[in-house]
Amino acid sequence: MKPQSLISSFNPANNPDTLASHERAEIDASTRFPVLLFFSSAIFWLLVGSLFGLISAWKMTHPALLDQMAWLTFGRLRPAHLNAVIYGWASAAGIGVGIWLMARLCRVPLLHSKLLISAAIFWNLGVLVGVLGILAGDSRSIEWLEFPGYATPILFVAYAFIGIWAIIMFRFRKPGHVYVSQWYLFAAFLWFPWLYATANILLIWQPIQGSAQGAVNWWFAHNVLGLWFTPIGLASAYYMIPKVIGRPIHSYYLSILGFWSLALFYSWNGMHHLIGGPFPAWMVSASVVASIMMFIPVVTVAINHHMTMRGHFGALKWSPTLRFTVFGAMTYTLVSLQGSSMAIPSLNTLTHFTDYTIGHAHLGLYGFFTMMMFGAMYYIVPRLTGWEWPSAQAIRWHFWLVAIGIILMVVSLSIGGVLQGLALYDPQVSFRNSLDYATPFRWLRGISGFFLLGGHLVFAGLFTAMLLKIGRPKDGPAYFTAPAKVEASPL
Amino acid sequence: MTPPTQPPDEGFHENELASDMNVSQVHGSILRERAEPCDGYEPIPLWLITLFFGIIFWAGLYLAYFSGGFRADVFNPAQVAWAGGGAAKDTGPIDPKVLGKRVFTQNCVVCHQTTGLGVPGQFPPLSGSEWVVGSDWHGDNHLVKIILLGLQGPIQVKGNTYNNAMPPWHQLSDEQISAVLTYIRSEWGNEAPPISPEYVKAIRDATADRTEPWTQEALQAIPGEKSPAPEATPAAEAPAPAAAAG
Amino acid sequence: MNRLPLIFLGVFITFASSWLGLVAYPFLTLGRMQPLPDEDTGGYFPPSKSGLAIAGQRAYAANGCVYCHSQQVRLAPLSTDIAKGLGPRQTVARDYLRAQPAFLGTMRTGPDLSNIGVRQPDANWHHKHLYEPRTVTDWSIMPSFRYLYKLQKIEGQPSADALKGLSGPHAPPPGYEVIPSDDAKVLVAYLLSLKRNYPLPESPEPPTN
Repeated sequence: MKPQSLISSFNPANNPDTLASHERAEIDASTRFPVLLFFSSAIFWLLVGSLFGLISAWKMTHPALLDQMAWLTFGRLRPAHLNAVIYGWASAAGIGVGIWLMARLCRVPLLHSKLLISAAIFWNLGVLVGVLGILAGDSRSIEWLEFPGYATPILFVAYAFIGIWAIIMFRFRKPGHVYVSQWYLFAAFLWFPWLYATANILLIWQPIQGSAQGAVNWWFAHNVLGLWFTPIGLASAYYMIPKVIGRPIHSYYLSILGFWSLALFYSWNGMHHLIGGPFPAWMVSASVVASIMMFIPVVTVAINHHMTMRGHFGALKWSPTLRFTVFGAMTYTLVSLQGSSMAIPSLNTLTHFTDYTIGHAHLGLYGFFTMMMFGAMYYIVPRLTGWEWPSAQAIRWHFWLVAIGIILMVVSLSIGGVLQGLALYDPQVSFRNSLDYATPFRWLRGISGFFLLGGHLVFAGLFTAMLLKIGRPKDGPAYFTAPAKVEASPL
Repeated sequence: MTPPTQPPDEGFHENELASDMNVSQVHGSILRERAEPCDGYEPIPLWLITLFFGIIFWAGLYLAYFSGGFRADVFNPAQVAWAGGGAAKDTGPIDPKVLGKRVFTQNCVVCHQTTGLGVPGQFPPLSGSEWVVGSDWHGDNHLVKIILLGLQGPIQVKGNTYNNAMPPWHQLSDEQISAVLTYIRSEWGNEAPPISPEYVKAIRDATADRTEPWTQEALQAIPGEKSPAPEATPAAEAPAPAAAAG
Repeated sequence: MNRLPLIFLGVFITFASSWLGLVAYPFLTLGRMQPLPDEDTGGYFPPSKSGLAIAGQRAYAANGCVYCHSQQVRLAPLSTDIAKGLGPRQTVARDYLRAQPAFLGTMRTGPDLSNIGVRQPDANWHHKHLYEPRTVTDWSIMPSFRYLYKLQKIEGQPSADALKGLSGPHAPPPGYEVIPSDDAKVLVAYLLSLKRNYPLPESPEPPTN
C-alpha cells in the first residue's frame, strides 16, 4: 500500500456511478427471493415475539395469568420473547435489508442466491428450535444467549453461508467508490460471527468460571446491539435518507469520523450493564468512559443526517419510508445519549436493576432498529414484488399504532423505573413499598403492548397483500399525501 | 441530481426468478427513484472537534482516578490502591471485640442489620433487647442456647411480637460465639458483661442431646442465669439446666 | 475510504482491542482464580456446593429466575445494598467461582438473592414460597411454580417431603398433600447454598459508623 493510494482512498472526489434503471431492475430481481424469504420469516417472528412480550408484560402485573403451565412461566416466556425478537425478527430483517443494500451498492446482481436461501432456512430452523427449547426448559439463562446448545450450531451454519456470501459480494463488486453504508454492512458482517463464536465458546461450550462470565456475556450482548444492529440500522438510514429526498449526504468526513469512532468505542461499553458488580474497577471504569465517548459517533451521525435532511423535512409528510427512517434515526440519537447518561455512576445508582433499563432497551431495539427496518421494508418490498402498497391509510395506522405504542412504553417504564430506583436506594423503604411505585407504570407498559401488536398485525397484513398482489392495481406509490402538494410549499 | 434514466431498451434481460413480475410496475417504482446516494464534502464543524478532544481529556482523568490502579484485585472504583495484607489471621490472638464485630457482620447483619435495630415485623432488634442484656426472665444461658440451636415460633421482644426462624449457629467456634455475644452486649447502648468461651463450651456440652431449635416456652421453663466473669470457671451451673432442658 | 483491506484492518483492530480487554483479560485473570483456604475450618472460600445445589443451578436456569432476581451486592455510595442487609460486603469475582453459570442478574423485579441462604435458611419456607408465593408474602408478584410440585393423596402416613404449613386458598384439600418434585428439591438446595458472608481479603467489610 503506497502512501499515495492510502491518502487518495480518503479522497471524496471519487463519486459513485449512478445506476441505470434497467440495472436497478436486474439487481432487484436477483435479490427478490432471498430478501423476501428473510422478510417473511422476520415478520412471522415479529408477531410471535410481540405476542410473547405482551403476555410477559401482563404477567408482571397479574402473576396468576397463565401460571399453570411450565412452558408459559415468565422465566421462560420472557427469554423466548427476547430471542424471538432479536434473532427471529431483528436479525432476519437486518439480513434481508443488508442483502438488498449490498446488492444495490455493490452494483452487481446477487451472486449465489442459493447460499442465502439455505441461510434463511437454517436461520429459521435455528430460531424455531431455540425458542421451543427455551419454552421447554432448556434455556441457558445467559442474557441474549439463551438458546440451548442444540440450537446455536444451526444458527452458526446459517451465518456461515451469509458470511461467505458477503465476502464474495464485496470481492466482486463494481470497482469505484465504497459508500458509507457498505462500510457499516461490511463491519457488521465481520463482527457478528466473531461475537457469536466467542460468546458461545466461552459461555456455553467451554465455560469460563466465575464472574468473568458476566463480562463476556455483556460484552457479547451489548455488542450485538452496537456492532450488529446499529451498523445495519445506520447503513439503512445512510441509504434511505439521501435516496428518498434526492440529496447527497452532508459530509463525507463526518461519515468517516462517525464510523471509526463507533468501531473504536462501542465495543468497550459492555461492562456498563454491570456497574458496581464483581469486576476489577478498571473494567467498569473503562466501560463508563467508552459509554461517554459514544457522544462522538452519535452526535456526528446526528449532524450528518440532520444537515442532509435540512430543508426537506416536508418529505416526512408524504413518504412512509422516510417517516419510519427518520423516526428511527432521531431515536438513535436519543437512545444513545440516554445510554451514555445511564453509564454515569451517580445516575446508574437510580436506574440499575429497574424498569428504566427495560425502557431503554426497547427504545433502542424498537424505537431505533425496528422502525428503521420498517422504513427500509416500505422502500424495498415494492421493488421486489412489482406491486405497490395497497393502502396509504393502512400504513398510517401502522405508523401511529407503533409510534404511540413505543412512546407510551418508554415513557411509562422510564418514569416508573426512576421512582423504583429511588425507592430501592432508600434504606427506609422496604422492597414491598418499592413495588408500589413500579406497578402503575407496568400497567401502562402492558397497554402499550396492545398498540404494538396491533401495528404489527396491520403491517403483516400489508406485507401479505404485497406478496399475494392483493388490492386494486395502483398507478402510483402509496404515499401519505401527494409529494407535489408538499414540495410546492416552502418547508 | 441526475434525473431518472430512460426506460430500458430491447436487450433488457430479467433474472428468471423475476420472470413473472409485471414489467411496467417494476419499472414504475424504479423509474421514480432518485439517483443512488452519494457524499457531500462539508467539513467537520470545529465545535465537534473541540468536543471530541474535551471528552478524551475527561476520559483520561476518569481512568486515572477510578481504575483502582488497573489491578485485578481492586473491585472498588473509589479505592485508589489496595494496601494488601488480608485478614490478620496469623498475627496472634485477635481482640475479641474485633472478632465479635467480624462474626456479627458476616452472619447476623442480614437480619439484625448493622444498626442492631432489626427489621420491624420481621427480625427483632438487639439494641436494648432484654434477651441480649439479660433482664426480666432472660439469662445468659438462654442467649447462648439460642445461638447454638436457633429460635423459632412467636417471641416477645421489647413489647413486640415476632414470629420468624433464627437458624442455629453451632458451627461457629466457642471463641466466635463468645466474641459475638460480647460484641452485641456492649454495642448500640447495650451494657452487659462479656461472655467467656468456656461458658459457651459448657452450655454446648450440656445441650449436646438437643437438635431442635428453641422456642420461647421451652426457654422460659429453664431458670435464667448469669454467666460467671470470663476468668472464673463455670463449675456449678451446668447440671441443673441440663436436667430442666426440654 | 475505498480500499477494502484497510477497512478490514481497522475494523479488526478496533474490535480486537475490546476482545482483549473485556474477554481475554477476564479469562486470564478472573477465570483462573482459585478458592482461598479457610484456616479455621479447613474448607475453602467460597465453600464448595453440595451435589444437589449444583443440580439446582440447572433448575434455576431452566425457569429463568435470573430475569427478576440479581445476585450482586454493591458498595456504597453507588448503592445501599449493604445498608439494606443484602450482604455484609461487596460480592467480588471469587464469590462466583463455583457458579455455573454466574447468575449475576440485571433486574430486581424481586429481591437480590446473594445471601438468601442466610436470610431464609428454612427449606420448607422456600418450598411454600415457590409453590405459591402469595402464601408467604401476599403482595408478591412472583409467579407460582406449582408445576414443580405434585398434589397427591396421602397414603397412610404423610410423606416426609410434604410441604408444611400451607393454609388459605392454596392449602391442599383434606387428605391431600403437596410434595416437591426433584427439580424443586434441587432448586431449594441451590437457594439455601447462596451465602456470600465469608471473609475475602479483596473485599473488606465496610466500616459501620
